[in-house]
Amino acid sequence: MTPSSAPARPLHSIIATAGASLLILAVTLYLVLPIIALFFRTTPELFLASLANPEVTSALLLSLATSVISLIIVILVGTPFAYIHCRNTYPGKVIVDTVIDLPLVLPPAVAGMALLVLYGRAGFIGQYANIFGISIAFTTLAVIMAQIFVASPFYLRQAKSLFDQLDPAYELTARTLGASPARVFATVVVPLTAGGLISGAVMTFGRALGEFGATIMFAGNLPGVTQTMPLAVYVNMAGDFNAGLTISILLVLISFAIMIAVRYYAKTEVPHA
Amino acid sequence: MTERKHHLSIICIVSAFLIMTALLAGCTGTSSEQKVTGAPTGTPVVMYEAVTTPLRVAEVTTAPVTAPATATPKPEYTPADGTVIAYTAASLKGASGKLAEGYAAMYPGRSVVFNLDGTQALTTQVENGAYADVFISASPKYTKQLTSGKYFVDGTVKTLTTNYVIVILPAKNPAGITSLADLAKPGVKIARAASTVPVGIATDAAIGNLASSTYGQAWNDSVNRNTVTYETSEPSVATKVALGEVDAGFVYESTSTAAKTGTYQSVTIPKSDNYLQTYSIAVMSGSGKKSAAKDFENYMLSDAGQQVLLSYGFRPA
Amino acid sequence: MLEVTIQKKLRDFPLDISFSVDDSSILVLMGDNGAGKSTTLNIIAGLVAPDEGMIRFNGSTIFDSGSGIDVPVEQRKIGYVLQRSAVFPHLSVSENIAYGLRARHCDAAVIEERVGHWLDWMNIRELAGVPAAGLSGGQKQRVALARALATGPLLLMLDEPFSGLDNESRRSVREVVRECVADLKIPCIMVTHRLGDARATGDRICTVSRGRITGTGDLAPDQ
Repeated sequence: MTPSSAPARPLHSIIATAGASLLILAVTLYLVLPIIALFFRTTPELFLASLANPEVTSALLLSLATSVISLIIVILVGTPFAYIHCRNTYPGKVIVDTVIDLPLVLPPAVAGMALLVLYGRAGFIGQYANIFGISIAFTTLAVIMAQIFVASPFYLRQAKSLFDQLDPAYELTARTLGASPARVFATVVVPLTAGGLISGAVMTFGRALGEFGATIMFAGNLPGVTQTMPLAVYVNMAGDFNAGLTISILLVLISFAIMIAVRYYAKTEVPHA
Repeated sequence: MTERKHHLSIICIVSAFLIMTALLAGCTGTSSEQKVTGAPTGTPVVMYEAVTTPLRVAEVTTAPVTAPATATPKPEYTPADGTVIAYTAASLKGASGKLAEGYAAMYPGRSVVFNLDGTQALTTQVENGAYADVFISASPKYTKQLTSGKYFVDGTVKTLTTNYVIVILPAKNPAGITSLADLAKPGVKIARAASTVPVGIATDAAIGNLASSTYGQAWNDSVNRNTVTYETSEPSVATKVALGEVDAGFVYESTSTAAKTGTYQSVTIPKSDNYLQTYSIAVMSGSGKKSAAKDFENYMLSDAGQQVLLSYGFRPA
Repeated sequence: MLEVTIQKKLRDFPLDISFSVDDSSILVLMGDNGAGKSTTLNIIAGLVAPDEGMIRFNGSTIFDSGSGIDVPVEQRKIGYVLQRSAVFPHLSVSENIAYGLRARHCDAAVIEERVGHWLDWMNIRELAGVPAAGLSGGQKQRVALARALATGPLLLMLDEPFSGLDNESRRSVREVVRECVADLKIPCIMVTHRLGDARATGDRICTVSRGRITGTGDLAPDQ
């Protein structure tokens, strides 16, 4: 019996492996190093001290509160909207489809400008609200409106995709069993798409949390009222560099949690046709 | 199979090489990750034109036009010196077009690119490695900071121009403001710059002076309560006023002077209470084109440059 | 007894169908793909509206274009098993069977009794708590049937109930269907493309082509 020696790995195979590893390493480092640099620019003491800064805590609370409210509104309004949009054909459906994606390609500052021109007290709609003493621009409401405008496409596109993929047989069967359309939606459609909807919701929350351009244009910058975390970072870049750094780190931590949540929920697949 | 692996290895090597090169360039050069240009603050709707006879409703303290004593220097340059990058306080935005033209006229073949943003933002960028040839600061605070950090070439830090603070109102003056006292009326909406922005520093000082000399602490508190936004650059304040979204805004006189007729009304702040902002210009010690940068500084300090600034409502150095 | 007369302009041809089915009897619809068989079932179920027609069973009219009667889907007492059973994967077997009863707001006691009855009848008592997603094809079909019948429908419709089943499951489904229909004394329409299943289960057959009935006949009982 001739002993078979394992064949020596050809040179080009080694180079291929090395090249591939280098490529993966390079891409990973490029994305991760700036984040790590944030952590190394401060010390735990400075970080904790900044956390006690009232401007930091107010930005944190405001950001979380507005993002949560924006998310809830997007889910409550967007889910039935996406469902009705998917299950029906109506004139102008293609236009609505395109319009939903619009905030994704619009520069946030332009979005903010547009909101200001419409809802500001000199704006086409805002002027009527102003008559009744209702201010929209420069309020926390404006923050929420800006967040909803820029972040809703993330949820709507995901919901649309899920509902389009969902096999209509489930809904039709449920109807024949005696369920009203609303009941079908709540007991069949939503449970079967919940995983994907949650992942869409998490991305929406992340986008709302990070919104800057539209916010500063439409809502302005007032600590405690409209100064969200991203605005606080920018304003504190000069002046209180440590506050800016702390808020940046907080945003990184929250973003990381969001990413993990998305990966977890995105695993569930929709039963499709 | 081996042929595919062969192709893959070539692609891997080339891609890895390109990425490593890009990484190295990014690490050793300017830190582009933290560079924040003026984009987030949005583009103001109103474009400022040079106006020689400003129209005002309230009292006007006219800017005396006295030219500085420097004569126009003879151009000494080498044509292939490239573009000068000038990190410039945002309040020079309106004048930047004419200034670029004037520079090219005095030194044919040259050009300048302005990076306009709040001086506080530009300072942070420079301190974190951003590249600039010239730095124009709207506040002695940041000028001092950068000087002590040795960011400027010795002997090149010069006073460029000055500017007072003024209150502008939308053309229609919806809140019916006729005096500084009216700013404390309930329901009035005021826009100003944040305290880290040079014009914000000036605004805070002027308001403080006005309170202690004339209007009292209660007036000061009311003005603060009426402030609905602290903007991150001077043009942003002007935009909010121009759009009619606020009733009043604290900006530089230059903005008010240079605006197209009828864009704003204004209320002046008495000189005795006002804060005279001093702008400086300096050549960056990290510049790769110091002679071209010095030429640009010379232009800005020359009659030609100063005339442009004066026509945009700035005061002489 | 079921009487159906419907017309509808479809994309490629006009649908013009007319037939009747006696109680305790199974009518098989056969024909090429796209002939209009599934559309006919959908129309009877109320999921699609015909241009004109009349549908009547158990002595009441559920659709009549002439007098404007159009009973909504959820109120037509029809048991409809679609292709590939569409068993709700996120619910257990007994929750699936109970779905229609819950939708009609039945008593908890009634629900328990009916679900139990059908679990036994279909011989799937041991699968009661199992999530429906993990069942085999034959098991899913039985759950779908139980689910459709649990609400006590007055008409049963099956669209390709044998697709994807192995021989043993196919035999048991055939038996179950025949027994149900005989037991409950309701009419039944079944769409299938397999002649063997048709002859083993059905009493009468209609062939459908391009929206029209091209032939009818009796089916001799299988050996």
